[in-house]
Amino acid sequence: MKTSNGAARRGPQLLWYAILLASCVSAAAQQPANYSAAHSGKNEFVIKNAILLTTTHGRIEHGSVYVKDGKIVAYGASVSAPASATVIDAEGKYVTPGIIDPHSHMALDGDVNEATNPVVPQMMMKDAFDYNDKAIYRALAGGVTSSLLLHGSADMIGGQAVVIKTKYGLDRDQMIFPGAPQSIKFASGENPKRVFGDKKQMPSTRMGNFEVMREAFTQAKDYQRSWDEYNEKVKKGDKTASAPKKDLKLEALVQVLQGKMLVQIHCYRSDEMLTEIAIANEFGYKIRAFHHALEAYKVPDFLAKDNIGIATFSDWWGFKWEAWDAIPWNAVIAMRHGVKVAIKSDSDDYMRRLNQEAAKTMRYGGATEDEAMQMLTINPAWIMGIDDKTGSIDVGKDADLVLWSGYPLSSYGVPEKVWIDGDMYFDRGLPGLGMPQYQEGQ
Amino acid sequence: MTKAKVGFAITVLFLAALAANAEQKTGAPAKGVPSTTATTALDPHKPIVITGGKLLTITHGTIENGLLIIQNGKIAVVGTAGGVFPLPPGAQVIDAKGMTVYPGLIDSETHLGLTEIDAEKNTNDLVELSDEIMPHMHTADAFHAETELIPVSRYNGVTNAIVAPDNKDTLPGQDSFIQLAGADASQMLLVRDIAMPLNFTGKERRNESFATASYPQTRMGMAAQMRQAFTDAQGYAAKWDEYNKKKAAAKAGEAGPTPPSRDLKLEALLPYLEGKKPVIVKAEEPGDLETAYALAQEFKLRMILNGLTQSQGIFDKVASWKLPVIVGSIYDDPKAWERYDAVYKVPGELSKRGVKIAFASFDAHQVRNLPYAAGFAVAFGLPYDEAMKALTLYPAQIWGVDDQLGSLDVGKTANVVVANGDPLDVTTDVKHVFIQGREIPMVNKQTELRDRYQNKP
Repeated sequence: MKTSNGAARRGPQLLWYAILLASCVSAAAQQPANYSAAHSGKNEFVIKNAILLTTTHGRIEHGSVYVKDGKIVAYGASVSAPASATVIDAEGKYVTPGIIDPHSHMALDGDVNEATNPVVPQMMMKDAFDYNDKAIYRALAGGVTSSLLLHGSADMIGGQAVVIKTKYGLDRDQMIFPGAPQSIKFASGENPKRVFGDKKQMPSTRMGNFEVMREAFTQAKDYQRSWDEYNEKVKKGDKTASAPKKDLKLEALVQVLQGKMLVQIHCYRSDEMLTEIAIANEFGYKIRAFHHALEAYKVPDFLAKDNIGIATFSDWWGFKWEAWDAIPWNAVIAMRHGVKVAIKSDSDDYMRRLNQEAAKTMRYGGATEDEAMQMLTINPAWIMGIDDKTGSIDVGKDADLVLWSGYPLSSYGVPEKVWIDGDMYFDRGLPGLGMPQYQEGQ
Repeated sequence: MTKAKVGFAITVLFLAALAANAEQKTGAPAKGVPSTTATTALDPHKPIVITGGKLLTITHGTIENGLLIIQNGKIAVVGTAGGVFPLPPGAQVIDAKGMTVYPGLIDSETHLGLTEIDAEKNTNDLVELSDEIMPHMHTADAFHAETELIPVSRYNGVTNAIVAPDNKDTLPGQDSFIQLAGADASQMLLVRDIAMPLNFTGKERRNESFATASYPQTRMGMAAQMRQAFTDAQGYAAKWDEYNKKKAAAKAGEAGPTPPSRDLKLEALLPYLEGKKPVIVKAEEPGDLETAYALAQEFKLRMILNGLTQSQGIFDKVASWKLPVIVGSIYDDPKAWERYDAVYKVPGELSKRGVKIAFASFDAHQVRNLPYAAGFAVAFGLPYDEAMKALTLYPAQIWGVDDQLGSLDVGKTANVVVANGDPLDVTTDVKHVFIQGREIPMVNKQTELRDRYQNKP
């Protein structure tokens, strides 16, 4: 029902815009002036008496985490922290790294697809980023601390993604993940062929889909050569050389060819995964991850060989023909073959309870606690290229942490407190929205 | 007595040995995931004894180390395993030690059998959009018994469901009550035309854009149109009453009165106007809920409420109506000004006020996730026992089938689930499902694909 209802639910456009406008105005108006100052990443605290699910070093019962200046300074069965550090008693509750959602379209104000051309790599999702969107707050309340906001799948080559930290209440630029590598979205299959086929344009078939890609990269190679030739002439002192026209679209593709972007490909069917791999090899770029990847279980060794990850649903199926062979064992089968697997939301609903989605892999295929946690944290961080900064409880990493009321890999675990870079952004016990210094009506 | 006890012990050992053999034969390859595919199903004509499990009876508490015997499709014994009892001849024993045994779950709104693939038009028979008032549409007529979605759904212990049309018309047609197993549609359709949705969420309006809008473009239009339909049905009934009176009064040999022409659409509304069957009033927000409630009262309709995801502000009033509520979906977005958990709390808030609630997936492919919504509602204040009842006994009562379904009680239909843990938890694996006392093979399209590709050369 999810796909087919999407458009219908958008329904009365005028009303929708009115509500949206009203919510933006009120949110901005309610933000106290000192909010940014209070979230300066300068806190110092120790969480004690917690069950730590580190994700990279297993579980630590009665564990502690010491946080200072936005980073994890120490963790373990005991830590030495100065007396000045605030102590938070977790009372035997669970502490995990923040959840990382590697596939989201939230906070884009509906501007997900520039579907007027099947190749639009010059689109920047940060240009559509609506930092006041309440969806960010709801993701945060579900324990998500970082999200990859991707272009949609209408185009074979979509736009450039933006990586955010879900610091709801802060300004736009304060939410963008510093130093995160640039990801770009590619697509395949039913969506591009439907979108352009309906307009009686190419692509309307899978043959068309892939030819559009080959065409684009062929042009990009020519463009790259013309610049190389120009630069070579300049280097030799040729004063008469004239620079080729700058083309932002081809510039972006050249960056892909140069390995400067992480390529994230929307791809359901296993045969298309193999074709995508062949085209990447043909033009010499790397694929970081297949998204959705519901048939990864049919070809896991091909993905593992090229070190391609997947960002998949736990059990969505049957919403379209290319999702007909989806099975809930997909994630674990792929993982057992050495594929890095992340569970993602692709939904403003599922992003609020991704922990339950990852927990399903323990039932379907017998993922261990560590493996299920890795699908929520370090693996999506790797897909987004931020695994050196976040995604586990490790010394030196960003203090992106969640305190859970109960076991997070169950139907019952609910985030009680969420810290990002050592600042608390959500506390379930607080009135209003549960946000420190950011309450409705103030 | 002693003899029976010994015989029982031997049977247990024998079956355990069989199970061990079976498991060895289907062992998963090193790189794969454990296969949970069941082997041959038990013989439904012989008694089935489920022993040692924790029985969630629903009506009379929890029995640790319980005993449940299924015979002739019914629950024959519910008790404790410790005692000495005469074992029925030919008994087949399931060792449920460490397992939880509970009644089959009931999903109070699905589209099972009306859809296969959402985006593929030819596989969908969800709603007739040619008019808003379509009470003469019967989901039973479209129900596709062989749908691949049913084996996937029952794999998680859902044994019964309401099949409803999509809520894009105010009166989209009539629901069916099904069981998720049977040789054909006639065996699965337990009750045809069990109830009729009356949708009033605003999503039924024909106002996609000003350019393409058609009547009813507004909520006023939706209400006026429904009021006219029920009024027409009253007029239609009166005409037939008059005809029947005249016919009865006509003397022998006299030419009788001419019967009115039949109108199937209006005829379909009569059982509801007569209060023989309930309408299911779906609304999300207080204004919509009160309008739809008043409209149903105007025509003295029997009501079940549905949705109520945004109506927290009037829950005290809702409780005073003393009506049952199909609750959710709790995964719907809260309003912009609400806390993130406003909708998650709806089941708990209604239950606290004494409202009888039932859960629904409101879906087809994800019917299997029905128990997890109840589990999540527990995390947000719904008492656990109420959550279990809202998946079993309460829906059975709401749909008028509690003499047969909804609890582990002697004499009820043997729709029984055996799982390795808490039924509401996402990590729990369902091990056995019985529908009408028949063991359901734990296979479906998805287990077949899993097994095929795991064993790929």
